[in-house]
Amino acid sequence: MKNPENRSNALFLAPGLLIYTVFLIIPLGLSLIYSFTNWNGLNPNMKFIGIRNFLLLAREPMFLESMKVTLLIAVLTTLGVNIFGIIVAAVLERKGRLFQLGRTLVFIPAILSPVVVSFIWSYMTQTNGGIINRILNGVGLSSIDLYSSSLSMVLLVSFVIAWAALGFYVTIYIANLNSVPEELYEAAEIDGAGAFRKFLNVTIPMLRPAIVINTITATIWGLKQYDFVKVMIPGHIQTVTIYAIERAFEYNMFGYSSAVIMVLLVMTLIISVVQMKITEKGSDIY
Amino acid sequence: MFKKTALLILLAAFAVTGAFANGGADSAETDEIKEITFSVNLTPLLPTEFWQVVADRYMEANPDVKVNLLGQPSSNVMHRDFVKTLLSTGQFPDVTVMASPGDFVSAGALMPLPTDEMGYLANPESGTINGDTYVALYKIQVGGMWYNRTVFNELGLDEPRSFDELIAICEAAQGAGYTPITMGLKDGWPQLVLASLILSADLLTENPDWGLQRNAGEVSFSDANVVKALEKYKLLTTEYANDDMSSVSYSQMLEYFFTGKALMLPMGSWVQGEEAKLNPDFEVGFFPIPSDNAADSISIWANEGLAISANTEHPEVCLDFVEFFMTDQMWYSQFLETEMLFPTTKDAVEFPMSDLRLEVGDKFSSLNQVEHWYDMTGDAALLPGLQAFFNKMTSRIATGSDVEEELALFDNEWKLVKSQM
Repeated sequence: MKNPENRSNALFLAPGLLIYTVFLIIPLGLSLIYSFTNWNGLNPNMKFIGIRNFLLLAREPMFLESMKVTLLIAVLTTLGVNIFGIIVAAVLERKGRLFQLGRTLVFIPAILSPVVVSFIWSYMTQTNGGIINRILNGVGLSSIDLYSSSLSMVLLVSFVIAWAALGFYVTIYIANLNSVPEELYEAAEIDGAGAFRKFLNVTIPMLRPAIVINTITATIWGLKQYDFVKVMIPGHIQTVTIYAIERAFEYNMFGYSSAVIMVLLVMTLIISVVQMKITEKGSDIY
Repeated sequence: MFKKTALLILLAAFAVTGAFANGGADSAETDEIKEITFSVNLTPLLPTEFWQVVADRYMEANPDVKVNLLGQPSSNVMHRDFVKTLLSTGQFPDVTVMASPGDFVSAGALMPLPTDEMGYLANPESGTINGDTYVALYKIQVGGMWYNRTVFNELGLDEPRSFDELIAICEAAQGAGYTPITMGLKDGWPQLVLASLILSADLLTENPDWGLQRNAGEVSFSDANVVKALEKYKLLTTEYANDDMSSVSYSQMLEYFFTGKALMLPMGSWVQGEEAKLNPDFEVGFFPIPSDNAADSISIWANEGLAISANTEHPEVCLDFVEFFMTDQMWYSQFLETEMLFPTTKDAVEFPMSDLRLEVGDKFSSLNQVEHWYDMTGDAALLPGLQAFFNKMTSRIATGSDVEEELALFDNEWKLVKSQM
């Protein structure tokens, strides 16, 4: 290394790259290799079986069902955190102690462990004795069973996931809202725009960068859901990650499980790229 | 320059990964002290301190041996998964608590036990796989229906002798304003006990080789007798269990029973520990789940014990430790008493027993013992993964799912697992 600057750059980069390589690149590479084998995770012997695992999972009803559940959760949570994120951010971005308190309260669930949040909501949503149904009973309404069907359970867990993450997305939207030039609102007012019109024609377009990043992160987050589903509704419905872990550790199908994870990885990449392309398209309008 | 740096990082990465992979393999050991690792299943009732007693007593009797306890790092990690992780990272324990050892046997991880040297066990050759025994059973549990005898007496009900009589009891209980059966699906497993008890009574009483035949592909999950058994399970759960079962956990399920809200609790004999703890203000009784026209069999769990690593450096010490576990009277009686278990040893073991335990013991001795369907052992055990599927399937059936469709999916899972073996 003749250039001292290069040497110091390499030294600074090395720890990060080392960690990244050990904990991401190598495991990912190994998973890719395992996905083409029949490795059972216990026996050191494994056989290269080509794309058989991928062909198998494409016609596996349980995999397809878990994929359906995962996509539904990802769509619902992405819509939830973004729609409510923008609305809550628009309300809370104002100055004042009350709004400051509101921002703090909204962010609290984001710092709680998903397991803790799941337990809290599990107890709150119990059909008999849960606080929500107690309140309903208190005002003369009958209890609702939020665990009565697979769909109601998916809706419930999606709501909880979105609730837990909302604070994170609201923070990004508030930061973006603060950077919207005041002149744009003034110009809109001169043009006769009311509050709703300003929100629709000024705020939303100016939030485009935040919407792009939040949509992508929320989708990725939704696709890899494990803990909320595992704690809140174990055994009832399963996401792709739960399916993959179960196949690996219960069925001893590590090769097959690696193939499932590879499919999820590629799917996440494709969805993210498509989202970026869609949101980039038309950004020149503004 | 970039290539050099990248190469160095890659080499360092492999060095670090390798170092982790080999971690613990070279445990420090002197010539004098023989060290063995003992992996135990930690539960709220059986914490580290509980298991430490046997390790300490063995070390006291054998000063040249050190027993190091291992347990799963968190309550949400199944001990079985923990041991699998140890195996795949080259840290498989010398002795481990083990149930359903099939996949460990096929991986060559377990040592076949010298059953001719294990005369202290009543049935050392229990649960053989391809003719060899890999687990020294240390406990037997029974499963059935625990009931509120006080209310049964008030309503003039007797223990059922057939499935129709069980339904009649449920009807009578419902008519008197009680929830007949307590059920909870939230934790993902309690429901399998009832489903499995019915399958044991209906299938295994008639045909004890059913598990072997299923694994050989001679019978299937979609057969009429399996469908019929699970239709009974569906009837009991959808018509006679608490309607909030989807949001009810195991502990709440117990609470429903022990506070008198529900009349019957389908569960294993470990609930006697809860009975002693919760001290209900009614008398508890027990009956095995009857088949269509008889109540002459009792479902037992005889699937858990101690297994020894095929690669242990001290096989003699491990075998001696296993024997000590079941022959040290002080420890073994304490072990059995904690969950009111039944011993697996040839010699009787004395420990304080409740009236309920004595009653269950009488039924255990007098009735035909059949394996709990879910935990069939040895060559008859369910293939890896199928227990997990059964948990989900019974959960779905309890909420109204079609039995025949579910069993067709179960057969599909069986084929998938078989294709990977």
